[in-house]
Amino acid sequence: MVATNADEQEALAIQALSVDKRPLMRIGASPSFLDYLVQLWDYRHFSVFDARARIRSGNKRDKLGSSWLFLNPLMNGLTYYLIFGLLLNTSAGIENFIGFLIIGLFMFQFSSRAITNGARCIESNRGMVQAFKFPRATLALSINIRELLANIPPVLAMMLIIVIMPPTETISWLWILVIPAILMLAVFNLGVGLILARLIARISDVGNVLPFFLRAWMYASAIFFSYDRFIDHPWILELMKINPLFNTVDIIRDCLLYDRVPSWQSWAYLILVPLVVVSVGIVFFWRGEESYGRQH
Amino acid sequence: MADSTEAVVPDQVLPDYSPAVVIDRVSMRYRVKSSDRNAPDEGSAVARRVRKLLGRQPTVSIKALNELSLVVQHGEALGIVGRNGSGKSTLMNIVGGHIVPTSGTVHASSVPVALSVNAALVPDLPGEDNIILGCLAMGMSRSEVSRRFDSIVELSGLDKSIHLPMSSYSSGMSARLTFAIAASVNPDILLLDEALNTGDAQFKDRTKRRLDEIREQAGCMFLVSHSLTTINHMCNRAIWLDKGDLLMDDKPGLVTRAYALFTGHLAKNEYEQAYRIRDEARANLVATQIVDRTAGRRRVEA
Repeated sequence: MVATNADEQEALAIQALSVDKRPLMRIGASPSFLDYLVQLWDYRHFSVFDARARIRSGNKRDKLGSSWLFLNPLMNGLTYYLIFGLLLNTSAGIENFIGFLIIGLFMFQFSSRAITNGARCIESNRGMVQAFKFPRATLALSINIRELLANIPPVLAMMLIIVIMPPTETISWLWILVIPAILMLAVFNLGVGLILARLIARISDVGNVLPFFLRAWMYASAIFFSYDRFIDHPWILELMKINPLFNTVDIIRDCLLYDRVPSWQSWAYLILVPLVVVSVGIVFFWRGEESYGRQH
Repeated sequence: MADSTEAVVPDQVLPDYSPAVVIDRVSMRYRVKSSDRNAPDEGSAVARRVRKLLGRQPTVSIKALNELSLVVQHGEALGIVGRNGSGKSTLMNIVGGHIVPTSGTVHASSVPVALSVNAALVPDLPGEDNIILGCLAMGMSRSEVSRRFDSIVELSGLDKSIHLPMSSYSSGMSARLTFAIAASVNPDILLLDEALNTGDAQFKDRTKRRLDEIREQAGCMFLVSHSLTTINHMCNRAIWLDKGDLLMDDKPGLVTRAYALFTGHLAKNEYEQAYRIRDEARANLVATQIVDRTAGRRRVEA
């Protein structure tokens, strides 16, 4: 190619145009935080419809469809029962170990699915993100609504197992408390998903270490052993109680298996921690709003 | 085109001046990895060393768009011509708010709506669900969506396929559906990409009718097209971009003629003639400088 001097040459003539930008809006600027929250509310129909439409079409590729939501933790339960319950005998001193294990695994599956999918909300919705302008946090919201709705049948099945599998438990008014416990766990999942979504949109490598962290988190949440092992380490116990997954699982076990009213401290943690996490998550996600449409 | 004598037009305010889009010193650079091991790495010193240590490819930045200022008014239809990689799509994406420019700002009197053709929106969902989702994503209410649903299906021409998942659509069908969704609103500022010409004859006819309607109602339009006839026909102003530089900003007839001559010479490998046309255009260009007129004072934005 023939290079010419003009390549570096500046334009010779300049016309100055006086423009009043005040009545105009800036394109690509992210809205103020309050406006963002209002927008999220305005787009609630989008989130709800997205969640429901995907449940309807979900798991189509698998022959057994959405029953995998139920079969998966059940098979995991069997595996962990054999390994930890029978071989390693971590079940020592745990009353109704099967119920104990089942509750932990169903709740872990709920959280890990919601967090994994929430964290990928931008990349799994590339088409929508590139085609339309809307507050991107609605995507994380709809994924969490979807996971919550999709988990209603498995949770009911979980309760059924607890009622019919020996040692059988009786249904009491405490069972109602499962609902707020799961709702608050969902709020926590949303918060973590929002934080991870921005991190992954920026550094996609984070997505690769996520499964590892989720696994470590499961082991730290006393899914198949009793936290009584740490009874001599009060600070570990305190740390575990801040962990919303452990706290939720603990509350549900108290309600369904042991007929104990969870302590007020557990409830305080249950409500407080997810609210803090979701507030941090939404602010953090909002601050990256401009960057999510970028392809490079 | 301005003579050199009237090259610098003093700060002017036209009486009927109503800018729809103000592009102020916008530039865009992409940072990408280069497979050329010897390419100069443009990252920070630390990033460079880390990449070298890991044996990763150097990062180079690509200038997609050099600093550019433009004011497009209501009633203007701006055609954009240029070779591949000239920065046309980058400019459209910046004005549409899909990417944030490396420097500079874009202001507009309303949200510009891009009618670009996209691949599948949500592949797992059937076309009908994609219509509802797309409409909700554009900010419509549920009742608005149901009001427009039938006309969108009709415009897409998908008939029974509307019940099939979008992943089963051909790229043409996907494009038609996305277009039909995006075209269901009447935007004030319209961004149009040339790819809309895809589709069979029957669909083309329907699209053209809807496009004409939208264009008539739009206050302002940006059109990217390789078809110079389309630009001449639809626009009343045109710009020519080349390698991220603005070369020409004038009547569509003049711009498309210069561009046609330029590409004609290039096709015949007559580089010297081609670049002469380009340099001439650049030399005659009157670049715009935006002066922000805020209450009480005038200042040149630095």
